[in-house]
Amino acid sequence: MKEQVVCKTTDIQPGEMMESYFGKQNVLICRTPDGEFYAFMNQCNHQGAPLHRGMICGATTDQSEPGEYHYCHKGEILRCPWHGREFDIKNEGRMLANPDKKIPSFNIRIEDEKVIVYK
Amino acid sequence: MPKQIPLVDTDIHERVQYQELLEYLDEPFKHYIQNCHWIQEKHMPYTQPSVAGVDRADAVIPDGRPAGSDLAFMQEQLLDDIGHEFGILTGALDPSPSSMHGWHEMAVALASAYNDWQIDKWLDKDERLYGSVHVAAQDRDEAVKEIERVGTHPKMVQVLLPIDDIMWGDPYYHPIFEAAEKHNLMIGMHHNEPPVYYGKWPRYFIEWHTLIPTAHMKQVTNMIFNGVFEKFPNLGMIMIEGGFTFIPHMMWKMDQQYRDLRHEVPWLKRKPSDVMKEHVRFCTQPSEELNKKDFMSLIEQMGTDEMICFATDYPHWDYDSPHRALPNLDPKLKKKIYFENAKNFYPKIPDTKER
Repeated sequence: MKEQVVCKTTDIQPGEMMESYFGKQNVLICRTPDGEFYAFMNQCNHQGAPLHRGMICGATTDQSEPGEYHYCHKGEILRCPWHGREFDIKNEGRMLANPDKKIPSFNIRIEDEKVIVYK
Repeated sequence: MPKQIPLVDTDIHERVQYQELLEYLDEPFKHYIQNCHWIQEKHMPYTQPSVAGVDRADAVIPDGRPAGSDLAFMQEQLLDDIGHEFGILTGALDPSPSSMHGWHEMAVALASAYNDWQIDKWLDKDERLYGSVHVAAQDRDEAVKEIERVGTHPKMVQVLLPIDDIMWGDPYYHPIFEAAEKHNLMIGMHHNEPPVYYGKWPRYFIEWHTLIPTAHMKQVTNMIFNGVFEKFPNLGMIMIEGGFTFIPHMMWKMDQQYRDLRHEVPWLKRKPSDVMKEHVRFCTQPSEELNKKDFMSLIEQMGTDEMICFATDYPHWDYDSPHRALPNLDPKLKKKIYFENAKNFYPKIPDTKER
């Protein structure tokens, strides 16, 4: 099994993200407001933008009637720095507008202060 | 995009910061920026609901200046990284002198200052970059003077006209086309803020942005039926940032209308689709996500593979990557779309071998 320490838990505050490397693979480590860590390929599946230059934010939910806005999932949505496509960090990196598409993810675990990506 | 295929990027947005224009402006116009805080008029009720407004979030200059405002950063992030052969600068429409609804004296001054800044800071500094002549077209005669003043610059390749609420095919503007043709300049049309809903604004940005191609279609229709290309046979026009998938519809519709209603526009001697094929080009960006089959079907419907030219729209948020935006096409077609079509369109762009 291949595994690697990609950063320390203290490197990323809840609601933030950073890029790192898993071998030669450029990866994106995200930390949601509940403190959990997630690892994705650091490349948008649309046109290849570097996702760590985007933002972690919330989403306007699709459970809305016309004219209604509900801002939710704050700190759990990754938006691409180019075309603004939204990916749900806590739902396997699935795209909000088309959940059949997702950002490839990596296994991740925490040991002491070490954030470890493995497969 | 394979490395061996050169690229002419037909839409790159350089951005001026108003303070940089001051040295190119005379008084009192300098004063109106410096002390009275003039800013370009804006009309849309919304922001661009992307990550960083109109620009790619990763294109902001590291020192905090807005995207597109620094040549060295553009070279690093775009021109060197992609390996551009040539790029056409189209401005950031801020200022956009031809979009101003009044105070045309200020618009004329801004156009001249912008052109001088563009030549000084961009065209003279990077051999790959070619430019657009900015004019205040509402004041037609001043616009012609500006084309005469800077249109002879070897790296100015087109006259830029924004798509807002003026239809440029109107005979009033024909002296602008005459001056452009005289200097081997093409016409580049790029939307600024066209009110696409019957002269008003749709409720949501996504509606407006979806319908931008309709504003481009209106201008092409207007230019062709007003006989601009019959009157100026060496003039070409490129529609920038409106996409290309509507082209077959326009060709069919205009040809059918021409067969029925030619009586009204007797100066038009050819089928509109033939005028389009000869005189009008379209940037590919923003490209829809077409597979190869659908893309090739569109080319077949156009009846030519020489009308579309690749553009990135850097540094805007809806940037098209030369590597990923279009399906994987055959090398010969790729070379046309990424390079030859634009090179053949702009008479002032040199052959690479001659550089």
